[in-house]
Formats: sequence, C-alpha cells, structure tokens
Amino acid sequence: MALFKKSKACHTPQADSPSCKKKVALIGNPNVGKSVLFNALTGAYVTVSNYPGTSVEVSRGAVTVEGQHFEIIDTPGMYSLLPITEEERVAREILLTETPDIVIHVLDARNLERMLPMTIQLIEAGLPVILVVNIMDEAERMGLNIDISLLAKRLGIPVIGAATVKKRGMPEIRKTIVNFASEKHNDFSYNKRLENDVAEIAALLKGDYRLSRKSLALLLLQRDDEIAGLVKDTEGAGYPALEEKVKETIFERRTSFHQDLSMERRRIIKGLIRDVFSEPDKRKITLNERISRLTVRPLTGIPILFLVLYFGLYKFVGVFGAGTVVDLVEQKFFEGFFNPWITGVVKHLVPWEVIQELFVGEYGVITLGIRYAIGIILPIVSTFFLFFSILEDSGYFPRLALLVDRVFKMIGLTGRAVIPMVLGFGCDTMATMVTRTLETVRERVLATLLLALAIPCSAQLGVILALLSKTRGALLVWGAFMLLIFLLVGYLAAKVLPGETPVFYMELPPIRLPQLSNILTKTYTRMQWYFLEILPLFILISMLLWLGKITHFFEKAVACMSPVMASIGLPKETAVAFIFGFFRRDYGAAGLFDLQAKGLLNPRQLTVAAVTLTIFIPCVAQFLIMKKERGMKTALLIAAFVSAMAYGSGYILNKFVLMTGIL
Amino acid sequence: MRCGFCGFEFKEEEGFKGCKNCPMSSGCKMVKCPRCNYENAPEPLVVKRIKNIFKKIQLFAQRRKDTKKE
Repeated sequence: MALFKKSKACHTPQADSPSCKKKVALIGNPNVGKSVLFNALTGAYVTVSNYPGTSVEVSRGAVTVEGQHFEIIDTPGMYSLLPITEEERVAREILLTETPDIVIHVLDARNLERMLPMTIQLIEAGLPVILVVNIMDEAERMGLNIDISLLAKRLGIPVIGAATVKKRGMPEIRKTIVNFASEKHNDFSYNKRLENDVAEIAALLKGDYRLSRKSLALLLLQRDDEIAGLVKDTEGAGYPALEEKVKETIFERRTSFHQDLSMERRRIIKGLIRDVFSEPDKRKITLNERISRLTVRPLTGIPILFLVLYFGLYKFVGVFGAGTVVDLVEQKFFEGFFNPWITGVVKHLVPWEVIQELFVGEYGVITLGIRYAIGIILPIVSTFFLFFSILEDSGYFPRLALLVDRVFKMIGLTGRAVIPMVLGFGCDTMATMVTRTLETVRERVLATLLLALAIPCSAQLGVILALLSKTRGALLVWGAFMLLIFLLVGYLAAKVLPGETPVFYMELPPIRLPQLSNILTKTYTRMQWYFLEILPLFILISMLLWLGKITHFFEKAVACMSPVMASIGLPKETAVAFIFGFFRRDYGAAGLFDLQAKGLLNPRQLTVAAVTLTIFIPCVAQFLIMKKERGMKTALLIAAFVSAMAYGSGYILNKFVLMTGIL
Repeated sequence: MRCGFCGFEFKEEEGFKGCKNCPMSSGCKMVKCPRCNYENAPEPLVVKRIKNIFKKIQLFAQRRKDTKKE
C-alpha cells in the first residue's frame, strides 16, 4: 500500500472534515526547490490564489498520509524572518497568522552555511521546524559532504537530505511529517551583552504570541514595524514601557547591534557546521566563477563594463548596425532604388498631388514612415537586440546590478533599479511600468524621472551613436553630459524626496557561454514585437505630419519653435526632428539622422541637438504610462521638469562648446 | 522558462499576470519574471512548433522500438 495518498484540496466539501486540520508550510529562499517539493507532495490537486490584500501568489494543496490529512502551503521565497520584500512579508504573515503545525524549511545543500541562519531564526522563534537539505545530488557532485544526522543532533530538529527533483528523500519527508512531534529543540545563545538586551525586552512581553519572546525582541530591536504594531495591539497598556525600552536599547546599540547580531549568528553557524560540512581541500574554481568574480568587483568590473559598452554598443550597434547596415539598407536600397521607383509608380497611378504627398511626399507614409522604420530603425534595433540578448543569456545583467548598486545608492536607488534602467534601453514605456516593482515610492518616482530624463530607448540610442560616431569627440561629450545629468538629477532628487534607501541583495545565477539558439530566438522575438509596435505608429505619425503640412499647421509649429531652436544654437530645421520626437523619440532621432545626412548640422549643433533630444519630453506612450503609474500630478511635474531640463541642458552645452571650442 | 535576469525558473503562463494594465499589452508578447519582473522574450511559436514535431518523431521512434522489443 502506498504510504502517501494524494487527496483533494482543502476547499472541497470533504476538506471540512475534522481530520483536515494540520497545516504544513514550506519556507525557504527562492530557487531551493520548494515548489518541486510542493508538487511532489500534493500532485495536481492545488489551488493558486493571491494572498489577501497583495499581488503575491500562494499555492495550497492537500494530501493524506497514513490517514492523516494535511494542507500544504507553498510560501513565497524568504531570506530571513525580518522581511524586506512583499513576498517575504506574505511568507512571514503565513507563519504568524495561519499557525502551521509543521514548518518545513527547504535549503540548498550547496549553500548550507549561507542559508542556515534562517533555520536558526525559525528554531529560535519556537516554530515546529523540519529541515530539508535539498539539492544533495548537486552538492555531492561538487565534492561537498554533509553529515545529516550530526546536523540533526546539533539543531535538535528532524533533518532530511534530499534531491526533490529526483524524488530522493521523499519517503523520509513524508514519514517525518506524519510522525512529527514538536519537541523542545536546541537553544542557541548569543554573547552575554546581546542576550541581556534581548532578555530585558522579552521580559516586558506579557501577551500570548505565535513567535517566541526572544525572537520578537530581536525583531523589535531590528525596527520591525509590523511586529511593533502586533506587539502594541497585544500588550495594550504595557506597550509604552516596552517601546521606551526598545528605543533606549536601539539608541545605546545604534552602531553595533546589526553587526553584532550578524557576527553572532555566523559564529553559531560556524559551530554548527563544524564536522558537519566539509568540502574538498582544493575546490576547483571554474573559469566561469573567475569571470563572475571579475565582473562584480569595482576594480575589474568597471573596465569590463567599459569594454562591453565600447565593443558592444559603440562598435557593433553604433558603427556596424547604424553605420554599415543602415547605409546599405537606407541609402543604397531606399534612397537609391526603392523610393524613386515607388514615387514613380504612385505618381503614375494617383493623379491628385495631395494624395501623392500622403504616400511619397516629404512626410509620405512610404518615403518617410516606412523608410525610417525599415531603413534606419530596424537595422539599429536588430543589432542592439542581438547585443542585448548575448549579454542577457550570459548572465551579465545581475552582475551589473551588483556592480552599480553602490553608485545607485548615492542617488537614492538600489541595484534592483537596474532592471527598469536596463529595460529602458529597450523601451522606456515598459520600463516605467516595471518601476512599480521597486521597494519604496521614493525609488519608484526617482526611477520614473531618470527613465524619462536620461535613458534613451534602443532605437534612439542606436541612431544617436551612429550620428555622433562620425564626429570626433561628439560621442564622448554626449556620453559625459548624459552621465552627469543622470547622476546630478538623481542625487538632487534623492535629497529633495525624503525616505530611506532600501537594502538590495540578489542571488547570482551562474555566468555561462551564451547559446546561439537562445540568442537568435530572443533577438527574433524582440525584433518582431518592436517592429509590429513601431510600424503602425510610424505610418500614423507620417499621416499626422502630412495632415499638418497640408493644413499649414506644421509650418506654423516649426515657425513657433524656431526662436527656441535658435537660442540653443540650432537651425530652424531641427524643430522638425523635435516635433517627430514628441510622438516618439526614436522617430525624432531618425529625423536628426536625416538632417545630418543633408549636411544641415555642424558637430556642435549635432551634439547639442542629440543631448537635447535625448533629454527631451517623453513620447506620448511614456507620458500615458507615467500618468497611470504615478498619477497625473507627478506625470505632469516630471514632463515639465524634463522639458525644462532638455532646453536648459541644450542651452548650457551650446554655450560651453562655443566658449571652449572643444568641438 | 528561465528568467534572463535572476535565473528564476517559472512557467510561461505565470509571466503574463498584470499585463492587462499595460498599454502595450496587445502588441507585446514579453513574459515577466514573477520574482524580479524582468521582461523575457518567449520562445517564438515557430520554434515551439518545430520542437513539438521533433518530440513527436522521437516519441514515435521510441514506441516503435518498444513494440519491436515486445
């Protein structure tokens, strides 16, 4: 007879039976195999729903083992009992409010030392813990040796070695769940001073809590607001004295508490794993690990970043994509062959000049819209996405996030903000939407502002690189100026907007040699998506421009903008590119490309126009998403600020270049 | 699929949650990582179909082998 029988979920009528009582919560870091264990335990009978009041999903399933009914809860990944992210908050909320009868802590055997502190915290909290040391097969392959029974003895809880993907350890896990009895487990002591601090606060806790008093005291000392709220509600009249004591201890230990606690936990773990965990004398550091280390250390990581940018963006996207390929497609094919041919055909077929203008005129749908989309933007975007896919598939982006974390912290952001920033180089609109994943409102507003201001989308970036790479020093001036604006505005905005900079940490996936099939499929999908999005827009913009031309509205708009253009040292024709840019910045950049090809811009004007356009007001789609994500007031403020910054930067740069004569 | 940013493994269907709010959702086929929200390019339909054909061929060959053994 099978030891373990799958049953229906707890929400079924059957679940109402008194036997369907015991709750088992799976807890652990992300990517340690919790979901694999959950699926192996529950099979197909699961329900997935958002945790009340959040967008975090929690899976629940049910199982019957030897006649005992269990509800299994797969919680979101968490790193510590002190939550930082919403997922961690939900996982802890489950521990606090759903009072699971068994807490299974799943950890990765390869990272035992790093993940055991949470086991200690769970035990310390008095929770009924079973430890599953997962991914044992991989650990053994690496030559790591873990004495499971000794670890169980030292922790005082059941410990099972497993490889859930291969179903190894599953019978033991099921058996342990069935026979689990929450007995008193081992106690882990910190140094005398820390224990005294904790004991003084724990003594003031009189209520009945799910977590132990020691654990609550530690969380209070780590300024856990949620726990403070919970304790306040429970303690009632006794809370002010407790609050005072916590404040006093935090103040006394303001410089050393966190360091002390983390050092003590490390000491405890070191003691625990002595003779439990051993690795080969000379663990071979692979080439990939070496490269990974080099990319995150500032001393080597920054030069590597510059090499990546130089060869990837400048040489490949700028010189090859926007130079060689655009020249071939736009100049040779469109200008040399296709446009004269299609103009002849349309003029032959359509007798009315106004309609001819719509298709093959100055702002014609075919001669301008399609030429821009296929002749200029497509080659640039294709090379950019190819380069982007290579970096993505190699695992470089998370390392870049760690590398820039320090710089980002200076401007009130964390490495987490690298995601929207990196995505912004693809499309600022979708990147603005991704800013909602950032920790604090302050971070979200800052990232939205910086995206609107200083992150050019891929098409715009490619065209600008192509434009400026032909003029000596122009690219350097543009790059330095944009970096300055990014850091300066970010820094000042961080000073103006109140709030704390959150902590950022992430697990690094392995660095690897990019696979050709992955690169090609990713590039193809991104190109397809981008092209399908821009082609109709470019056609629509061309039609609007045509309409503007025949109604003479367009000429008036250019005339109105001419003094503004003149004040930043640009010819009035540049206004056309800026009007294009209002619809989409890449369309505007393509307009500048055209102006340069006609010889209407000198190096100074080219650089000033490129800087102004890069900072220029976001495109219509980005403005709409800013309004949706941050509200109308913030969106309008950002748009006004960005427009003023664009003009101001163009003005200052023009004066600076005129004065110094560097271009 | 595996997230190109954080390496998290998830089902493609999980990556479309919350897309309704995006104005680009009708044209965009990107799959969002449930852990870090990074937008990943999904496997194109053509590639999926080709892979399915290969799988079917493999399955067919395996069945024939098994039948012969029996």
